[in-house]
Amino acid sequence: MSGEKIRLNTEWLCDCGGCHVAIVDLHEKILQVLEDIAIQKCPVLTDVKDYPEADIGILTGSIRTEHDRHAALEMRKKCKTILAFGTCAVYGGLHGAGLAHSKEEIMDYVYKSTPTTRTDFIPGENITGLEHSVTPIDEVIDVDLYLPGCPPHAHYIFESLSALVAGKTPRAGQESVCAGCNRVMKKTDVTAIMESGEPVGDDDVCFLSQGAICLGSVTLDRCLVPCPNHGIMCTGCAGPTMQILTEPNHDIRTEVSDRMSRLTAIDRDSIMAHMEKSAKTHYAYAMATKMIGNKPTFLIHKWIADVEAGK
Amino acid sequence: MSKTITIDPVTRIEGHARILLDCADDGSVNDAFFCVNELRGFERILVGMEASTMPQITARICGVCPTAHHLVAAKALDNAAGVKPPEAAQLLREFMYMGHFIHSHSLSLFVLAGPDLVFGLDGNMATQSIVGMVERDPDLSKKGLRLRSLGQKINETIGGRGIHPVTAVAGGISFRLSDGQFKKLQELTAEAVELVSELAEKTKKLLFALLDKNPALMEKLNSPSWYLGNVLEGKLNVYDGQLRPMDGDGVIKQEFGSSAYQEMMSERAVHTSYAKEVYLNLDGAEQLYRVGPLARVNVADGMETPLAQKMFEQFRGDFAAPNHNAVLQVYAKIIELVYACEKANEIINNPALRGETRVPADFRGGHGIAHIEAPRGTLIHEYDVDERGIVRAANMIIATQQNTAAINASLKEGANALLQSGDDEALLNSLEFIVRCYDPCLACSTHAMGRVPLDIVVARNGQTIRRLRRKYNA
Repeated sequence: MSGEKIRLNTEWLCDCGGCHVAIVDLHEKILQVLEDIAIQKCPVLTDVKDYPEADIGILTGSIRTEHDRHAALEMRKKCKTILAFGTCAVYGGLHGAGLAHSKEEIMDYVYKSTPTTRTDFIPGENITGLEHSVTPIDEVIDVDLYLPGCPPHAHYIFESLSALVAGKTPRAGQESVCAGCNRVMKKTDVTAIMESGEPVGDDDVCFLSQGAICLGSVTLDRCLVPCPNHGIMCTGCAGPTMQILTEPNHDIRTEVSDRMSRLTAIDRDSIMAHMEKSAKTHYAYAMATKMIGNKPTFLIHKWIADVEAGK
Repeated sequence: MSKTITIDPVTRIEGHARILLDCADDGSVNDAFFCVNELRGFERILVGMEASTMPQITARICGVCPTAHHLVAAKALDNAAGVKPPEAAQLLREFMYMGHFIHSHSLSLFVLAGPDLVFGLDGNMATQSIVGMVERDPDLSKKGLRLRSLGQKINETIGGRGIHPVTAVAGGISFRLSDGQFKKLQELTAEAVELVSELAEKTKKLLFALLDKNPALMEKLNSPSWYLGNVLEGKLNVYDGQLRPMDGDGVIKQEFGSSAYQEMMSERAVHTSYAKEVYLNLDGAEQLYRVGPLARVNVADGMETPLAQKMFEQFRGDFAAPNHNAVLQVYAKIIELVYACEKANEIINNPALRGETRVPADFRGGHGIAHIEAPRGTLIHEYDVDERGIVRAANMIIATQQNTAAINASLKEGANALLQSGDDEALLNSLEFIVRCYDPCLACSTHAMGRVPLDIVVARNGQTIRRLRRKYNA
C-alpha cells in the first residue's frame, strides 16, 4: 500500500505491559504492519509525550488511578477509532479481581500484613491516588472496537490491524475456546469433581467429561487455544463469550455446571457449589465489568466471604 | 527553608513513576526517591483463588517477565506438595526459561538500551528509538530483533504461549514435546548460538565506545552496595540453586535457600511510593543491596557454558570485582545472554529431555516457598494453601523492588553532583540515565521499561516555582 500511512497511538493504563509485548511478538509480520502504519505515541517504542492526532488508538489496561482516567480521555479526544486491546481494557482484567476487596483492605494487606514487611503505615505522599475500584475503559470513554485476550494471540492482532489499515471492520469471530480444542466431549460415568492440581488422565478427552473444571466452553477464543491443547484447563483469560455476557441469568458457573453435569454423572448443584467456593479463580478476569458484576446470579462478595470464613 | 524538586517521567512511565528530590537550604539533596505510582495488590487478590492456577495467574503480574513468575509459582507449589518434578520436566522448565531470558535480555539490550549504545547519550531524542536505530544500524537491530524472536518462540513452544505461559504445573510440565517440536527447537537454538556470539562482540564494542566518550560514567555511579544472586555449585544459575549474598567489599556470606527469606529480608514501605524497599538482614543490620545481572555476575565464581565463561573472565580482567558501576549492567547482561543461548542449545540436545514430564503433586494443606532469578533479579513467591487447595496467604519479593533503595542512593549521589551546577539539562540527562541503568521493570507494580524522559518540577513549600520539560518531535 502506498500513500498516507495510518497514524497509530498506543497507551497503557493499569496493566502488566504484556499487551504491548504482544504487538512486538508479531515477529516478522511487524515489518509488514509497519509498512502501512506510522507509530506516533507508543510507550515502549517512542518518546512522544503528548497525544498527537491519530487514526487508530490502541488502549491497553484498565483504569486504576486518576492518571489512567486522564490518559483514556485524552486518547479518545485525539484518536478517530479506539481499540480496547486486551482483557484488562475490555473487562478490567485480573487485577479487576481487586473489585472483590476494598482499596483499604488491599492496602492493609500489602503494607501491614505480609510477613516480611517491617513497617506499619500506608504510603500516600506524592503519589497518584488509586481509584476506589478497577474500571474497564468503556465505562469511561466510548470504545469503537474490542480485542480481548490476555494477551490476544498474534493471529488476532494481525487480523485486526490489517483490517483497520485496509479501512475494513475486523472480523470478530464468536467461537469459544472449545471450537479450537482437540479434545473430544463424551458422556462418562465420572462421579467426582477432580481436585485442583491433579493431573488429568486422558489427553484426548474433554476436561469436563473427566470431571475437571475447564472454562473453554464459556470463553471467547482470542488465544488459538494453547491451554487445553497443552494439558491445561482454560481459565477464561480472554473473557466470557457473548452468550454469557448477554443472557441475564446465565453466567460462567451456571453454564459450566450445566454442561459438565450432562457429560458426567456429577449433579449440577454440586458443581455450582464447587465453583462458588473458588469463584475468585473462575471470575478473575471479568468480574470488574458490569456485564458480569451486575448479573443477579453473581454473588461474588458472598462467595468470597464464605470461603474466607472457612465455610 | 527546604525545597522539593519533583521529576516526573512523562512518556513511557507517565503517571506511574517519578523522581522526588528533597533539598536542604544549602541546595544539597537530603533524600532522593524513585516513586512508583501504581498498585494492583496481587498479594491480596490471590487469597481465595485455587492454588493450582497460581503459575498462570501470577504470570499476569508482569508482561515483561511472565515466565519468571510462572516458573517460580510452579516451584513453590512443588515445594508445597513436597515433590520433585522428573528430570525431563526440570530441563523443559529451564529450557523455557532460557528462551525467556534470550527474549528479555535482547529486548532490553537492543530495543531499550540499544539506542543509547548506537547514538550515544547526547543523540537526538526524536530519532533515539528502535525505529531510528533500525535506520542507523540495520544489521545490529535486525539481528538483535531476530534473536529476541527466537527466544520468544522457544518460550512459546514449551510454555504454550510466550507471554503468560501456561504449561508449568505443580509436579512438572503439563505436556510432552513432539518429534517435530524437538527438531524445530534444535534449529532455533542453533541459530541463537550463532547470532549471539556476533551480537555480543558488537554490543560490547559499542558499550566501550560509550564509556570512552563519557568517562564520567565510570567515575560516578559507583556507589558500593551489597549484592544478591543465585548460584548452583558456585556458578551463575537463574533457575535452580542457592541465594548468595556478598558485601560491598566482595566478601561472600553464607548462601541460603528461599525457605529462609523471611528472616533474611526486610521490606520497608516508604511514604512516597507504592513499591516497598527491601534490605538484607546480615551482619547485624539491614543492608542495602542490589539484584540483577551485575549482582549475579558479581557473586558468581563463573559461568556454566564455554563462551559465557570466556566473557566472564574478560569482565573480571577488565573491571574490579565486585563491580559497583551501574552502567556495566549492560556488560553483565551480554554475558547472561550468551549463557542463555548456549545453555538452551545444551539442554535441547540432552536426551533426558524425552522422559516423563509430570508427577502427581498434592499441595493441599501445604506451604511452599521458592525463588528464581528473574531477568532483573531475585524473585520469591510464598503460598499457604488450605485443605481444599485454595490460597490462604501469599507473599512476594519482586526483583525491581529490591533495587529501589540502591536507585535512590544513586539518584541522591547524581543529583548532589549536578544540582548546584544549575545545569538543568545535565541534571535531566544524568538522572534519566541513572534510572535506566537499573533497568527498572515496574510492571510488577507498574510497568516502566527503558528510557525515562523526565519532567522536572521545582517547588518550594509546595509551590511550583518553575517547570522544565524536554520537547520531542512527534
